[in-house]
Amino acid sequence: MATLNLSSLQALAFHRLSSSFPQSTPTLSFNFQPKPFANPRPISLKPYVSEKPRARVVALAVKSLGETEAVAVSPEDGQSAGELPSGSGVYAVYDTNGDVQFIGLSRNIAASVAAHWKSVPELCGSVKAGVVDEPDRETLTQAWKSWMEEYIKVSGKVPPGNESGNATWVRQPPKRKPDLRLTPGHHMQLTVPLENLIDALVKENKVVAFIKGPRSAPLCGFSQRVIAILENEGVDYESVNVLDEEYNYGLRETLKKYSNWPTFPQIFVDGELVGGCDILTSMYEKGELASLLKK
Amino acid sequence: MGVTKEQVELSLKAKLNPSHLEVVDISGGCGASFVVEIVSEQFEGKRLLERHRMVNAALEEEMKQIHALSIKKAVTPEQWKQQQESNQSNPAA
Repeated sequence: MATLNLSSLQALAFHRLSSSFPQSTPTLSFNFQPKPFANPRPISLKPYVSEKPRARVVALAVKSLGETEAVAVSPEDGQSAGELPSGSGVYAVYDTNGDVQFIGLSRNIAASVAAHWKSVPELCGSVKAGVVDEPDRETLTQAWKSWMEEYIKVSGKVPPGNESGNATWVRQPPKRKPDLRLTPGHHMQLTVPLENLIDALVKENKVVAFIKGPRSAPLCGFSQRVIAILENEGVDYESVNVLDEEYNYGLRETLKKYSNWPTFPQIFVDGELVGGCDILTSMYEKGELASLLKK
Repeated sequence: MGVTKEQVELSLKAKLNPSHLEVVDISGGCGASFVVEIVSEQFEGKRLLERHRMVNAALEEEMKQIHALSIKKAVTPEQWKQQQESNQSNPAA
């Protein structure tokens, strides 16, 4: 009798596991249940009752990964065929083979996916998005965990992009180049004339912008505008803060003579003065700047 | 008092003989600032950088006191005419 009891318990456990996956299995398990014993029925009912509240709680937070439909991402421009939500929630990125690459949480799902596509377009084939209506940190994390657990349960592994050490999908803070300095400091005596330093600087670098203030926080609107244009063009450029009296002492007066241009900012491309904010803006709006930068 | 709009206009008229000139004073408390639109035959055959240099040179004295000078338009009468016709044919633009 003891032997029979053990085997019957194992059989019940098997039925429970299998019934949670394909829909055809519940019928089979239903057929099996009445035959062996009448007594085990009350035992099997209890687990089902306890499972229901959990499912409801999860459903309130976010739809399950399996139930969510994927939205294709255009290979041309990274825009989704359907509309990805710009709200908060959890999302899963699939490659073109239909494999999950990364499961993330975001305050703006559409923006995050756009950033991923820009970074690794070959890995972004489609996306599943689950919106979380009350996006406090804990709720978002719980939603993310539920999708991760669901994926791990089905695949037996962690998505490649979520493995520890993988930085492909983490938003990198933009690395701002430091402004260039023409001298080691005010206290040092120059052995080379300043105009020679300027000449070498603009000829050795593709793009040099002499601006008022640092690149990270320009101190006048025109310099700000110039930096915004260069950033939008995505060009690699150097910047020099003409107001830095410690390291760029005397630069303003010398540069005005060198360039025959009385104001700042001044932008040099391929060793030649392009002009100030007005000219750069004009060229940018006409598309001439992009052409110049490609030469 | 600093540089006035009238001074800027006088210098530009005297040195560049414009057929059209518009000077807007946009000084906002941090020094004299002007926006300039100028049409002159002297810009013929000159590229944009040189035209801006000519305007800067015409205002050499005033530039010593000017905080910001924005040259929104520096065109020849021919270009000005084309732009006017273009604007008329596209009033929405």
